[in-house]
Amino acid sequence: MYDKMFYGRYGGQFAAETLIPALDDLEAKFEILKDDEQFNKELQHLFKAYAGRPTPMYKAENLSEKYGCEIYLKREDLLHTGAHKLNNTLGQALLTKYMGKKRVIAETGAGQHGVATATVAALFGMECTVYMGAVDVARQEPNVKRMELLGAKVVPVTEGQGTLKEATNAAMREWVSCVQDTHYIIGSVVGPYPFPKVVTHFQEVIGDESREQCKELDMTPDSVVACVGGGSNAIGIFNGFLDQHVELYGVEAGGTSDDDCKHARTLGKGKPGILHGAYTYLVQTPEHQISDVHSISAGLDYPGIGPVHSMLHDVCRVKYGYVRDNQALNAFKELSRLEGIIPALESSHALAYVLDNPEIFKGKKVLVNLSGRGDKDMASILERGLI
Amino acid sequence: MKGFYIVGGYPDREKFRECLFAVAENGFEFIEIGIPFSEPVADGPVISEAIHKAVANGVNIAEIMNDVREMKEKYPEIKAIVMTYANIINGYGEKAFSEAFGDILDGVIIPDVPTRMHFWMQERGLIIPIVPFVTPISRPLDIEDLKSVKTPFIYYISIMGVTGSDTKSSGADNGVLAGQLTGNPVITGFGIRTPQDAKNALDSTGGFVIGTEAVKRQGEPAELINYIEQFASL
Repeated sequence: MYDKMFYGRYGGQFAAETLIPALDDLEAKFEILKDDEQFNKELQHLFKAYAGRPTPMYKAENLSEKYGCEIYLKREDLLHTGAHKLNNTLGQALLTKYMGKKRVIAETGAGQHGVATATVAALFGMECTVYMGAVDVARQEPNVKRMELLGAKVVPVTEGQGTLKEATNAAMREWVSCVQDTHYIIGSVVGPYPFPKVVTHFQEVIGDESREQCKELDMTPDSVVACVGGGSNAIGIFNGFLDQHVELYGVEAGGTSDDDCKHARTLGKGKPGILHGAYTYLVQTPEHQISDVHSISAGLDYPGIGPVHSMLHDVCRVKYGYVRDNQALNAFKELSRLEGIIPALESSHALAYVLDNPEIFKGKKVLVNLSGRGDKDMASILERGLI
Repeated sequence: MKGFYIVGGYPDREKFRECLFAVAENGFEFIEIGIPFSEPVADGPVISEAIHKAVANGVNIAEIMNDVREMKEKYPEIKAIVMTYANIINGYGEKAFSEAFGDILDGVIIPDVPTRMHFWMQERGLIIPIVPFVTPISRPLDIEDLKSVKTPFIYYISIMGVTGSDTKSSGADNGVLAGQLTGNPVITGFGIRTPQDAKNALDSTGGFVIGTEAVKRQGEPAELINYIEQFASL
């Protein structure tokens, strides 16, 4: 009966009893609406006219020439608000409207999901509160100001390490108190069932478009590469190629080293456990406490991962690697200088994996999900004297 | 049924032991011992802060459970219930946890394991009864499902919120219904602060547990003893 909640061994619905009726309601509405003509017509209209879909696929000629492979970029950075996050928030805001709820809450790390949620809340005339770790509030100030300009209330969370994990704790606590009139727009393919399924559904548009665009170019990529924090941009693009003979690579944040608290290599260094609603790989201590993690990129600074990625890792359908902070920073500069595209630090991890692993990618056609743009990272990079 | 919740190993082992024995000596029927987990998503600021401090000091499950064992040997009639999050029991191993502590525990309360996920922990070897929750918005079918659950009691969460919230109680209807439908004892938790709150809970569901107000006083066991004495005679 509950098999539907799991990806292989992973997933489930490890949530407060108080949330169960709302999760059931979300599942029931989602299952109807995802195939509803009117709902999809509205969503497609928003994707096209409001968000700027389809996003282009661009062959990065200069980068390709320098690194000896054909690098194609799926330009989610060109989506309205600057990252793939809007695909999910538009879908879930529309769900919220159909469910008759008038208020949304969200957690955010880098602030991209917070901005994307504040944006759809403004569009749909919904009240919006975003929980953000206090450390992230400091390192992503431009995004905090954007959310406030869009009419959202941003609540800094000072608990623990003050990053995405604590922001998620705070959003879950808040949701328990207001679940009857508020929808929680979770930002990645994490959380209790049906959230991983809902978010995957709305992000699949990346993979669907990419597959079509590859056909138009009369090209099948040898490899598809995406960064993985919670893993929504990655599963979005992977789903377009899972059934093809295409190598898939997820890139985790390697931080500064493999020492405790210095990385966010959930699959590389973690072990399965239960956090934020799902059984999935987690970076944890020998005493089963969740570890502090680190990444230069606030969006990847999370000790968990979507359960679907835990499954894809175990069955070896996707290879999950990592790059360090300095490698991501190098890719950030390379794409800026060679192509005139400033990528988000999150997406820079995916690109860095390609640039720094010629033994895998040389001579191959590689599609990289450029999940977001890097304007938001400029202030913190400049402040730290990294460029 | 009357009970108290305290955080294991907080603020240090000695004070935790004093508090543990104080509850037992005052004639309460059960005691909930929290095993701290770094992500206490069901807890409000007071208990969360205590848990974070305990985690920072290092959580030693064996030590906490040794103290519980001693208490249980001295007061065998009191029910000992562990309250912790799923990852702690899963990480320890559901089977190993049951084998190590099944003889001294009457139940476990796991706020991130709803009734429908009990099977998952049980399939992996958890044989200690899992205490189910009923909430103000539980549906009749959710409560019906509890008829076959083996548990020392049903935990009725009387508010929409986390532990220690100021939120007004949503009434006791579902708690009372759960008792009638399943024949199990019911205790009311989350938001019980005063003897009057406790008396209301006893009158409606027949039980209560006090957490936040107890944890606030765990640093000064003498204060906790003064506090709990008000409830002993209810």
